[in-house]
Order: sequence, then C-alpha cells, then structure tokens
Amino acid sequence: MTTAPIIRAQGLTKRFGDFTAVDDLTIEVVPGSIFAFLGANGSGKSTTIRMLIGLLQPTAGTIEVDGIDVLHQPRRVRDHIGYMGQRVSLYQGLSLRENVEFYAGLYGLSGAELERRWGALRERFSLGEAEADKTEDLPTGIRQRAGLALSTLHQPRVLFLDEPTAGVDVHSRGLFWELIQEEAEAGVTVFVTTHFLEEVEYCDWVAFIDAGRLIANTAPETLRRDYSDGYGISIDLPDAERPRARAVLENLATVRSTPTGFQLAAGALTPELLEGLDRIVAGARAEIRIEQTPMTDVFRRVLDAQEKPS
Amino acid sequence: MQDHDVTAPIQVRNLRKRFGRRLALAGIDLTIDGGQIVGVVGPDGAGKTTLLRALAGLLEIEADQALVLGHDLRGDVTRLKANVGYVPQSFSLHRDLSVIENLRFTARLHRLPQAQLAERAGELLQRTGLAPFAERASGALSGGMKQKLAVANALLLRPPLLLLDEPTAGVDVMARNEIWAMLERERSTSLVLISTSYLDEAAACDRLVYLDGGRIVANGTPAELRRTVALELYRAWGDDPRLIARSARALPYVAGARATGRFARVEVRQSQSPGTDRVLDALRALPGAGVRLAEATAIDMESTLLALARGTLT
Repeated sequence: MTTAPIIRAQGLTKRFGDFTAVDDLTIEVVPGSIFAFLGANGSGKSTTIRMLIGLLQPTAGTIEVDGIDVLHQPRRVRDHIGYMGQRVSLYQGLSLRENVEFYAGLYGLSGAELERRWGALRERFSLGEAEADKTEDLPTGIRQRAGLALSTLHQPRVLFLDEPTAGVDVHSRGLFWELIQEEAEAGVTVFVTTHFLEEVEYCDWVAFIDAGRLIANTAPETLRRDYSDGYGISIDLPDAERPRARAVLENLATVRSTPTGFQLAAGALTPELLEGLDRIVAGARAEIRIEQTPMTDVFRRVLDAQEKPS
Repeated sequence: MQDHDVTAPIQVRNLRKRFGRRLALAGIDLTIDGGQIVGVVGPDGAGKTTLLRALAGLLEIEADQALVLGHDLRGDVTRLKANVGYVPQSFSLHRDLSVIENLRFTARLHRLPQAQLAERAGELLQRTGLAPFAERASGALSGGMKQKLAVANALLLRPPLLLLDEPTAGVDVMARNEIWAMLERERSTSLVLISTSYLDEAAACDRLVYLDGGRIVANGTPAELRRTVALELYRAWGDDPRLIARSARALPYVAGARATGRFARVEVRQSQSPGTDRVLDALRALPGAGVRLAEATAIDMESTLLALARGTLT
C-alpha cells in the first residue's frame, strides 16, 4: 500500500509517576480502513485514544492525524476527527434534536446546511422517531446510533470510537457495524475499540495492546493464521468422485481420508484453495463445511503466548 | 442454605411490573430448575433488568404466582434476599473500601463467621486473580477487576440463586473467562441467571430465556432455540466480502448479508428459499462479486438471536 497513513503514532509513551500506561507504541492507519484497537481493561487503550485525539499530552513520541501534528496543534485536529466515548456524550434533559443543535453550534454548522446534513444522517441512521425524545429515554441501541450520527455531523475524516457497542444488543450491534462499514466505504477512517472480539472480523486491521505495549499489529486473517490451528475443512462426496478430488486437494492442503470424504487442515484459505474446493463441490454436489477458530480463542492464544514466552 | 427449596427455585406465573404507564414486565410465566446457568437475552429495553430485579425481591410486583426459593415475592422478602447473590448492571460496591474490606463488609452484614470468610474470600480472590490487589481501593480497579469483585462478592455466601445483570459488559476476554470459570463451579449447587449480550456466553448457557417487550418470546436450550429459526445460513468466500454482501442483498430471498472476515454471511428466508443447491449456485454466480467458494452452514447463535429479534421463526 503506497497511501500515506492518516494516523501515525511513533514511540508513543505515557507515564503517570512510576507507572507506564503506554510504552513506546508505534502504529500507522491506512486511510479509509477500519482499525480495531484491542486490549484488556486497564491495558492503556483509552489513554492511547486520549493522546491520539489531543486530549492528553504524551510523555514521549509523535502523533500525526490527517497531516496535523497533534502534539503542537491539539485543537486543530478536532475539526478533522469525530469521537464517540464509552458513555455516549449526549446531554440528558435535552431532546435528541436539541443535542444536534448544540453540537452543530460547536462545529459552526447552522441553517440550511445543518438541515441538509442532519436530514441525511437522520434518515440513514433511522433516528426520525427518536428526534423529540429526551436522550435519557432512548433505548441503548438508538442512543449509540445517535452518538455515532453526532460524531459524524461535521463530516470528519477520522472517527475514533471507544467501545461503541458495549452493552448493545446483537441486533443493534449488527446495524451499527453496517453503518461503520458504510462510513469506511465512503472513505472515512475508523479507529475503534471493542470487547466483542468477533467484531474484529468486520475490521481491516487489528492492533492489540497489553500492559501498555503493542503485542500484535496485523491483519485479522494473519493473526488467525499465527494464533490458531487455521482452518478445518470437511468434504463429503461420493466414492467415485474422491480420486479426482484428492488429486486437486493434495497440492493445496494436508488431506486426510474420512468415511464420507476428506478432512483438510490449512493455515490460510488461499484463493487457490478456495477455488480448488469450489471446483470439487460444484462438479460433484459435494458437501463442504469450513471451521475457523473464533476470534475469541485466537486472542486467548495471543495473550497466553505473552504469559509463556517460548 | 436453610431456606433452599428442593423444588424449582423459580416459579412465577403472570408476573407483571408497571413503571407509571409503562408495562415493563407484561406477564412472565417461568419455572426454572436449579443446577444450571440460564441466560436472559433479548433486545435493549426488553425487560431483562426488571426481571432480574423482580426475582431478587427488589421490586413490588403483581403476579398470579411469584415463588423464588419458596418465598413469595408479594410478601416479606427479607429472608429471600439473604439467599440471593445479585450483581446489578452498574458497579455498586463501596468504592472507597478496599477489595478485601468490601468482602468483609458483606460477610458481616450476613454474619458469616470470620474463619469461613477468610477461607472463602481467599479462594475467590485467588480464582479471580484479585489476590494481589486485595488492599487496593475498589474505585481504583480496572473495569474488568471491578466486575470480578462484584461477582466474587455475590458468591461469598454460596447463595442458591445468583442473579447477574450483564456482569461482563465492557469486560475483556480474560476477565470474562475468569468470571465464567467462577460461575461454572457454582453450576451444580446454584441456579445462575445471567443477562448478557455476548454470543459466546449465550451459547455457553444451559438454557436461554429470550425476552422482548416485557414478555418471554422463547425459552429453551440453545440447540432448541436454533431449531426454531426459519432461516438458512450461507457463507460466500472471496477477496472482497463487503462487495459480496452488497451483491447478495440484491437476491430476492436474502434476508440479510454482512461481510465478516474472509466471507459474507448470507441469511435466506426458509419460506422463500429456492433450495440449497440453487442458492449456492446463485451466490457463486453473483456478477462481479468474485465469490470463490459458497457453502451452506449451520444456524449459529448470532442468526438465532437476530431471528428472534426480527421475528423470523417457524
């Protein structure tokens, strides 16, 4: 990828007295990607985000967000970013519409421009019915969507979302991720934290912080390859088809015969392997099942590897 | 444990709870046997928290029958409360007391002998990894440690009934493991009711009670609930799963499609499905989507809960 990173943090360190909360962290985020930033409670995630958005001065290191030197121009970066915290920052006692007007005022958005922008968001985020309600009366899922809508009101180039889906039900989480993916497809860069590890599958990149240090920084697929048994693939197909299938498969993965067909083990699902499998399945009406290690288990292994260095 | 009834610990019929004009529980019928972990699931605002609080004896309710551990929720619930471990959604222990002081405080409230406290607290702190932080102020613990302490505190007296309201929301995977390891150990002697929005936790429950609009919509083992889902689930693998998902949504019988990892998850309404082979062929032939492999797969917890939320059941 030749595109210059839109977020670049180098040697980022934050100490509170004797305690090092973030220790020499270096990350780069590709524009228009969804970047998952994960870690245990107390691992330094929120401290890192607060530094990236210019709310906290690092002890050492440099940060650049959308071409802006965050350390020296922390206020300027705020026009370029949207932020949504663990507790959505909507003012209680105000209706959603009043919150919109309040935030729009902060960004200098008003009149026809505000109506156009909010009108589009209200429609896309299905917030029309909630507009007149006091924000404390809104169900969690709608409140989260409203928080996301407000954080994109000024059309920021980068969104920082700190546990946006915590405590949100599975249906609302699904809707929320569809919106996040749409933002990314429209070119917005999304920097997101979560404890729902299966949500990493919706992201392009994953960084994992443990005790202030980065212990993984890679594509989700690479992490799965390195910290799981890869993929288990079982294929059921008629006897007559098996010799032809075996000939195709043996070049692609480790193949074991089973009473009903084959069992394959593969570290990664390469395009060649997928197409090889599809040729067998399509030709013979075979049945195929692909088992992948859940991300939750992948991360348990990542953490175990930290505790027991080989 | 003197009050522990050998019959079903929870026996409620037509349980109702009204907040002003809003009916938060609209007639709950529920009989649950002990010795299992029961997940309370459902959308935000479904009544999960209200149900757990009602069963803990914390709310005035109406019902035709409302027996919890043999105590009537409509009468004096003082003795019930001594036998229930309840963990509310927000951290409610004393922030200015240390970890061990909080446990001591709970023990004294319930007149637990000193020797028993020392043994039980030591064991729980060990299992939760909180032992090195025993002297730390609870308010200064990380989110995950606070929740482990809250659950440990609820387990201190070995109550026959545990009611846990989203104890793992916002908690990291290792701390969740430790909380679940504690619950597993109680499974044989207690009834555990836990509300959760994690799919892996819902799948790990012996039984799920799905609430919506203050009513029980489904009640069964995870496998039983999966069988009621009127959807077929497919996976279409390729280089650009988001593009595949978008193209798949154009198929008339597709109920939903989302990119996840290397594939698009595609849900098809059973009533409209043209049959597995034809769906697979259609997915392979999605124009310009670059599907390299299409596969039919078993309904999982995600599809089960989504189908319950959307009402796509048989």
